[in-house]
Amino acid sequence: MRHPTVLALLAVLLILVLVVVVQGAGTPLPGNDIGYEPDQPILFSHQMHAGELSIDCHYCHVGAERSRHAGIPSEQICMNCHRFVAAPLASVREEEAAATKEGRPVRPVLSPEIGKLYRAQGLGSDGKPLPGAVPEPVRWVKVHNLPDFAFFDHRSHVGAGFACATCHGPVDAMARVRQFSDLTMGWCVNCHRASNLSGLPDGRPAAASTDCSTCHY
Amino acid sequence: MTHSPLRWTSLAERDAMLAAAGATSRDPGMAAPSAATAHEDHAHAHDDVRTEASSGPAALDALGSAASDVSRRTFLAAAGFSLAGVLAGCGRAPTQSAVPGSTQPEETIAGISTWYATTCGGCAAGCGLIVRCRDGRPVKIEGLPAHPISHGGVCAVGQAQLLSLYDSRRLRRPTIEGKESAWKDVDARVVGALTGVRSAGGAVRVLTGTVTSPSTLAAISGFLDAHPGGRHVVYDALSASALLDAHEAAFGARILPRFRLERATVILGLEADFLGTWISPVELTHGWRAGRTLEGVPPKLSFHAQVESALSLTGSNADRRFRVAPGQLGSFVAHLAARVAAKAATSAPAPADPSPVPVEALDDLAGRLVRARGASVVLCGSNDLDVQRLVVAVNQAIGAYGATIDLSAPSFQRAGDDAALAALIDEMEAGNVAALLVAGCNPVADAADGVRLAAALARVPTRIGLAERADETTAGLSVVLPAPHAFEAWDDAEPVAGVLCVSQPLIRPFGEPRTLRECLAAWAGKPASDPALVRATFAKDVAPRAGGTTTPERLWRQTVREGFLALRPRPSGAKAYDAVSVASASPRATAPAAGRLALVLGPTVGMLDGRHAQNPWLQELPDPITKLTWGNAASVSPATAGAANLSDGDVVRVAAAEGGVFIELPLLVQAGLADGVVAIPLGYGRLGTDRFAGVGPAWIEARPTVRKGESVGRNVSGFLRLVGGAVAYAGREVTVTRTGARDALSLSQTWGSQDLPKALAPRGHERRDAVRETTLAAFSTDPAAGNEAPHVGADLWSRDHATPGARWGMAIDLGACTGCSACVVACQSENNVPVVGKDEVRRRRDMAWLRIDRYYADVPGSPGDVDVVHQPMLCQHCENAPCETVCPVLATVHSADGLNAQVYNRCVGTRYCANNCPYKVRRFNWFDYASPDSLADLALNPDVTVRSRGVMEKCSFCVQRLHEARAEAKRAGRPLADGDARTACQQSCPAQAIVFGDLNDPKSRVAALLRDPRRYRVLEELNVRPSVGYLTKVRHRDGPAKGASHD
Repeated sequence: MRHPTVLALLAVLLILVLVVVVQGAGTPLPGNDIGYEPDQPILFSHQMHAGELSIDCHYCHVGAERSRHAGIPSEQICMNCHRFVAAPLASVREEEAAATKEGRPVRPVLSPEIGKLYRAQGLGSDGKPLPGAVPEPVRWVKVHNLPDFAFFDHRSHVGAGFACATCHGPVDAMARVRQFSDLTMGWCVNCHRASNLSGLPDGRPAAASTDCSTCHY
Repeated sequence: MTHSPLRWTSLAERDAMLAAAGATSRDPGMAAPSAATAHEDHAHAHDDVRTEASSGPAALDALGSAASDVSRRTFLAAAGFSLAGVLAGCGRAPTQSAVPGSTQPEETIAGISTWYATTCGGCAAGCGLIVRCRDGRPVKIEGLPAHPISHGGVCAVGQAQLLSLYDSRRLRRPTIEGKESAWKDVDARVVGALTGVRSAGGAVRVLTGTVTSPSTLAAISGFLDAHPGGRHVVYDALSASALLDAHEAAFGARILPRFRLERATVILGLEADFLGTWISPVELTHGWRAGRTLEGVPPKLSFHAQVESALSLTGSNADRRFRVAPGQLGSFVAHLAARVAAKAATSAPAPADPSPVPVEALDDLAGRLVRARGASVVLCGSNDLDVQRLVVAVNQAIGAYGATIDLSAPSFQRAGDDAALAALIDEMEAGNVAALLVAGCNPVADAADGVRLAAALARVPTRIGLAERADETTAGLSVVLPAPHAFEAWDDAEPVAGVLCVSQPLIRPFGEPRTLRECLAAWAGKPASDPALVRATFAKDVAPRAGGTTTPERLWRQTVREGFLALRPRPSGAKAYDAVSVASASPRATAPAAGRLALVLGPTVGMLDGRHAQNPWLQELPDPITKLTWGNAASVSPATAGAANLSDGDVVRVAAAEGGVFIELPLLVQAGLADGVVAIPLGYGRLGTDRFAGVGPAWIEARPTVRKGESVGRNVSGFLRLVGGAVAYAGREVTVTRTGARDALSLSQTWGSQDLPKALAPRGHERRDAVRETTLAAFSTDPAAGNEAPHVGADLWSRDHATPGARWGMAIDLGACTGCSACVVACQSENNVPVVGKDEVRRRRDMAWLRIDRYYADVPGSPGDVDVVHQPMLCQHCENAPCETVCPVLATVHSADGLNAQVYNRCVGTRYCANNCPYKVRRFNWFDYASPDSLADLALNPDVTVRSRGVMEKCSFCVQRLHEARAEAKRAGRPLADGDARTACQQSCPAQAIVFGDLNDPKSRVAALLRDPRRYRVLEELNVRPSVGYLTKVRHRDGPAKGASHD
């Protein structure tokens, strides 16, 4: 059993088994964060906003059409609506009913999560700025990460006509954002090659470069 | 139980050993080789190991102590156990945060740059910039193409201003007697002191460099109005005082002429480095280049002659150059004036002493100047009043005034008065100055008599200074106030009459700086912020001169957006030429005594007067002529060095013949200097440059760039003194003696010749022709003169690589390149090229992706004279790249658009590619070159990877800019046009010598240039097929195409 040839063959067999297991079971290798679904500081639900309310991706992720980075919206964009919407309608109606019943003025209702947003903006529960409060940005946990030596440009891909869901998956059904795709280099290059053969979704020929310097500079 | 390692080659041997050890074959731990019992024994052994291992650390200790007894099985088990442990610890990469703004500023989208027009503050020239900002801070400086002064060019100093913004050594808070104070305390103290001075009738002096800002000048004059007897003293460390005084004598007003070189066909420079450092080099380079485009029939090429004692950048680009000792310059000008007068049929006194240059040459020069009447000009940078007065006379005789020299819309870029500064120092020494305000200058370090000034400071009771950094002058002041960087403040400037430049802040200031304007307003009891002050002057003084019908409000916004405004110039006050005043000028010829040399002091392209000594990019920028970095050296000509038995690297003591001033610094033998001259650059030896002790990798053989307590280079301004009321930069008699010590000079280029060593050169190829040049006479008849096609052998590779879309290429015009090195710093800024420090440069490990190679050629018949050529050398992006074929991991590949791409994350650091590159343009990261100042990381370009140790890098043709241009064009739905994608070097060049673009577009400029008969490729015979073409240099000379050999 200690014969060198046998050991070598065993090692090769082990490696083959590993490869098959990894490929077959779909176990991601280190560096592939598929399925990453971190907790976020505010329980923002894409399912509610992008799904039920059908808000377009580009309303908040402004940079996707114009820049390398799609960007995460600043609190200002949230406040466009949440200046008025501080709590679910049911809670507001409840409070109104309670106020009528008890014969007192209606108190502003603030849901806990929107309350986090208000606090980050330095606003009180009534929506007015608190004295001495300094607005702070929300530190979201980045779900889709590429290493520093890879540059990805959103604008070319959005311009090519790919729906956001192609790479990001059914975000409008996610209560918490999850990384849907591999985002490995092989996954990117495969799509580039496939597009070059089949063309873009709208039928235009694709010019998806597979040069190294397209992404690595 | 012991596990002795058994080694046996046969059963018999094993049994014998076992018998000797007293063990039997049934003993666990000794695996029996026989097949029948193999399995069973193996199982036993396995049990043993399990038992051993399960008893915990003690068992492992036993294993360790009996290391030689560890069997393979045990080792593998232990290894597997630790691997499992390691893998269990492997998790996801640490979380990254995405932090958007709390309130996103308008026009700001992450990843998209915003561009703001502003004005450079690197010197008083006032070139227009457009600065790229990302995430609310500037990251790249570019030139403003429409600007009437700079025309889109930015010099090396201008490009480096980005790094001087992100400097943690900048002053942030005011200090009183060295202790940080609040502004209100400072204001109270200053106002109290000034009130006291006013009531006592004391003298107030405001000392500044040249100020071109109308609002600041208005603030200063308002301040002095409140202090009767007060005076504003202006001085320039690089003085043009004699030039100003000469024009005052001739034209009745102290005017600095504006030179319009684009109108000149004959240019004579006398000790004026106008392409490198003199007054407004970007503007003058543009004008010089405009007269040398070689377009048309006959080819447009001005005649440029230079007369100087040291080899300056301008001299290296001249068609004819005369080496004249400093003491002979006056005699030369007198002879020239006499010749010009003779040819122009006017009169001038004939000088008695012999001409310092050959008579025929002088005659030819004078003839050209006169024949090109109205299109010729003499520029003189000497600070000798007699010389300047004669030059005024010559310019008048050749009809330059009103044609190539503009006095009606003059320049304001130098306003200093050396005599006024000397008078101030006398006043201070006598105790007659009650309050001194020093703003934006460092006279103790760079003025003549700076030492005397430092001592006299102690006799001024109220000493206030406004500076960006602590320096030699602020050390002697009691109240030191932080001044903002040019990118942090609003400002206006009128550097030349008729052009108003506006600066706007690009970033919130670091700390609490205040401009001089704001300080004076606060102390006058009318505190106001800068924008209000600048706009007030704009509305009052500028808008009325603008003409047009726009409201001042809209005019202001338009000016801020565009960076400048064209105005009606104010009358300059020039009166009619007064010949009498200059007729009496009779400069004396002097020569140093035997055994002494004449000292010549002048600025370098990177340091200027020393104001940028704290900038590591500029310290590491090789001087275009000497290629010296991180310090200055005393240069002497080869003949002088030979006569004095001096060689490169000798530390010499340069001592003034009288006055007791001396300095010790290394010697550099420099071709092209006049004999009997020692030339030393100004601007070094500044206080605080020992901050660079931490620059460069700290490895076992490292030598520090500078030692704590010392400085980078030596300050030689102690040799400056007033002669005839103006600072003399050349001519002081000094002795140069060897001290015996040696200092390794850190030169980025140590060779100057294109000749190969005879023993190594293939026959017939003793001289490489990396640089090809020709003369105008040859070029006029044959545009391909000097450009013989090389013999290229059969090609192994077929041209079957399709390049759909763009194919990028570059053309570099050697006739336009002056060697100013603006492109080098632009590339460093754009591509995050690190600073490596003095020792690494000495080891030839400098990291510049783009370097300027400088080659010398002997001038036949003129021993001691040299011709110089500057050649920018960068990755040639060869189609048959020798680097691509040898990379074992394919980290360097050819892209479909013709670029040789370097993929940093794939590179393992074999360095075979650099070995194979014939141009030696690949640079290896031997170490991690982080800046010791972490604030400098803000200057990094976010679109370019920062390379770590072990990775090769090289010019990428600014691929990040190409991507950006292509993505933007695609997004906008338009095709990529010529000029959309420009490399950093191309953008910055003041002479537009570099042209980049799409070779597949037949209408692009670069495609046209690469079809030009002047086009050649360097080392073409290697058949690497570079994508970079060079255009031959054409010198305005008669004679055949170049045949001179290089030394």
